[in-house]
Amino acid sequence: MIVGLSLTPFGHGSEAWRQAPQSAQLGFHAFLTQAQEAETAGVDFLLLADEFAAPPRDHLSPTATPFDPTLLISALATKVRRIGFLAAQATAQHAPYHLARRFASLDLISAGRSGWLAITAPDTLERDAEYLEVVNGLWDSFEDETFVYDKAAGRFFGPEKMHVLNHRGRNFSVRGPLNVNRSPQGQPVVALLASKTLSPSLAQRADVILIAGRSIDGVTATSEAVRAAVAANGRSPKGVRLLALVAPFAEEASASVAALPVGGAADQVAAALIGLVASANLDGIVALPPTVLAADRFLAEILPALGERDNRDGQTLRERLGLPRPVHPATAGEVKP
Amino acid sequence: MTERRLMRLGAFPMAGGHHIAAWRHPEAHARAGSDIDHWIGLARTAERGTFDMLFVEDAAAIRERNPELASQAARSTSFEPLSLLAALAANTSHLGFIATASTTYNDPFGLARSFATLDQISGGRAGWNLVTSASELEAENFRAEGLLPHGDRYARAEEFADIVLSLWDTVGHDAYLPAGGDAFSDPTRLKPLHHRGAHFSVDGILQMPRSRQDRPIMVQAGASDTGKELAARTADVVFAASQTLAEAQAYYADVKKRLPRHGRQFDDLKIMPGLSPVVGSTESEARRKFEELQELIPDAVGVGLLSSYLSAGDLAAYPLDGPLPDMPQSNLMQSRQQLVIDLARREKLSIREVARNFAGARGHWQVIGTPEQIANAMEERFLNGAADGFNIMPPFFPSGLEDFVDGVIPELRRRGLFREAYDNDTLRGNLGLAIPRHETT
Repeated sequence: MIVGLSLTPFGHGSEAWRQAPQSAQLGFHAFLTQAQEAETAGVDFLLLADEFAAPPRDHLSPTATPFDPTLLISALATKVRRIGFLAAQATAQHAPYHLARRFASLDLISAGRSGWLAITAPDTLERDAEYLEVVNGLWDSFEDETFVYDKAAGRFFGPEKMHVLNHRGRNFSVRGPLNVNRSPQGQPVVALLASKTLSPSLAQRADVILIAGRSIDGVTATSEAVRAAVAANGRSPKGVRLLALVAPFAEEASASVAALPVGGAADQVAAALIGLVASANLDGIVALPPTVLAADRFLAEILPALGERDNRDGQTLRERLGLPRPVHPATAGEVKP
Repeated sequence: MTERRLMRLGAFPMAGGHHIAAWRHPEAHARAGSDIDHWIGLARTAERGTFDMLFVEDAAAIRERNPELASQAARSTSFEPLSLLAALAANTSHLGFIATASTTYNDPFGLARSFATLDQISGGRAGWNLVTSASELEAENFRAEGLLPHGDRYARAEEFADIVLSLWDTVGHDAYLPAGGDAFSDPTRLKPLHHRGAHFSVDGILQMPRSRQDRPIMVQAGASDTGKELAARTADVVFAASQTLAEAQAYYADVKKRLPRHGRQFDDLKIMPGLSPVVGSTESEARRKFEELQELIPDAVGVGLLSSYLSAGDLAAYPLDGPLPDMPQSNLMQSRQQLVIDLARREKLSIREVARNFAGARGHWQVIGTPEQIANAMEERFLNGAADGFNIMPPFFPSGLEDFVDGVIPELRRRGLFREAYDNDTLRGNLGLAIPRHETT
């Protein structure tokens, strides 16, 4: 079972801040400690949800992360060297060139352990689809093995393996190429959030789909709808990982997130999560603990009950999630020896 | 007792080195643009040398349109600066970090948040080098309509800078309340921004504690009149490119004399020209090192780089052993190009010679010699109204920076011109800059 963990200073519960000492929890070192504990426990990836890219604009939120999540990843990535990372960024936040470049950089810094949770909006579907297409194209600016570093010949890379995007669309005009090397895992992982439905035009770009639902029936229905959306493009749902957002020990604080509350004693929570993944046909879960105490208990008491952890050195996030390495379109027809 | 005035030093690494052919040098790390551990090593070397800061420049585009030329240049790819510096900040404790970011294609809220994040992660060691984008290749990654004219770029930059400064001021000190109380935060210490201007509408507040250095350091390199004026109003540090002592003195005096009209003191702004040092144990060894590098520059690459810098069309169409042709004023960065043209005319250089000279230091001041000779040159400018410090641009990495730290820094310390150890752990503190007054509040 794939297991992700969402990082916040106090927990996802709106009252969680009352249980934790304040200013220290807001600092980088508190996040680093949480990340180290999650890595040691064998969590597959950390989610920097950033209140799904919509923190409040007029007051301080006790559940917002006090960092730009992408920069938090790069600061953590050289200090914890096995765990993966997913950071939320809205398509409304940055120009696609900036976003593609930021994640390409994170993926080099983390040695192929980074992914983007793309926050889209229901009323900007066509723009969002074009945005994802541009980012994907920029990440293909260079083929695998483009960079030869031949000092004697003065040849840094093979120019025939560089691809200028020259995108001219309704919403974006982007020449390219990206000025960052190709990702160690081919492309950074792309995740999307599905609450009820997911547009097939977005679903075709996703490697991971996070399912938000407040009931088991709701999660199951969304899981089915998402599989249908993926298959609508003729794509096998096996190339996509479906993960439910869950709030373990939900009774510990009032949960304010669109995650499935899972309460009870540790063995009950573990059994409920295993049952959920089986019945809703999922690949795993992302835990959004209501408090940091609940996060600690999740790592110590629940995670070991969810099965063997594959916590080896040197894995990319794609490898860890069992996702194939994307093939560059220019080499799609080639047979590898 | 008045404290002795100390030099400020920035380390300015570049993937593949400042010299265009440096990546081909046997000592250069060719994969620098994709190797984070190489950069962590550079940051630790700079910290060992008690540098004030490490600076990275930026372009949000590949730098060369011609794929054949791009493929011969190590600087075609590197890390995005903020991602890079966040990783370096997590691996150091005293060194400051300045990232370049443009006001032309970013949005002010996202940029203010990113720099404030770097400031949080580093514990108050971040700074922003504000630039406007003058490259057509950058424009083509963001707009269908091409470059903005120079004046429009600066009007946008002025408004952008004010918004960022205001956003950094939205969360006051002690806005987060101590644990155990009834409230999470104190709303009287918050100043949400509601900005409506010619270029931007921004509403918001940063979701993070106040910076340990009050706010990130502001850096600029503007050399045009509007650029210098913006620097005099908003910058803590100015990077400059000056070839001769007289040019450097004129620039220094010009920027400093603008400070009083913005209510600022002489020492509120540090002027740090770029310096490209080639260090040898003897002068002839340093010269030999430099000549080795010059010989690695393919003419096509050197002339191509100069052509695009001067927006001069393709200089390869002219005889390479002849002089630079006459060139019209361009819409791009105007002042630095003129420095290159002036140097070529003054020293009667051929196109090939200008291209090689330019490729070596990209229009910055170059000193080739022993640690004593380099320290002499720095001391002369530091003591004669030409510089408050220098931004050090070694030709290749990592050994160019190590040579400077192990050779020149001890010489500067011996003369009492540079610190022996850090006495502060914020960048503002190390630069000796006061907490700014908040005119926006």
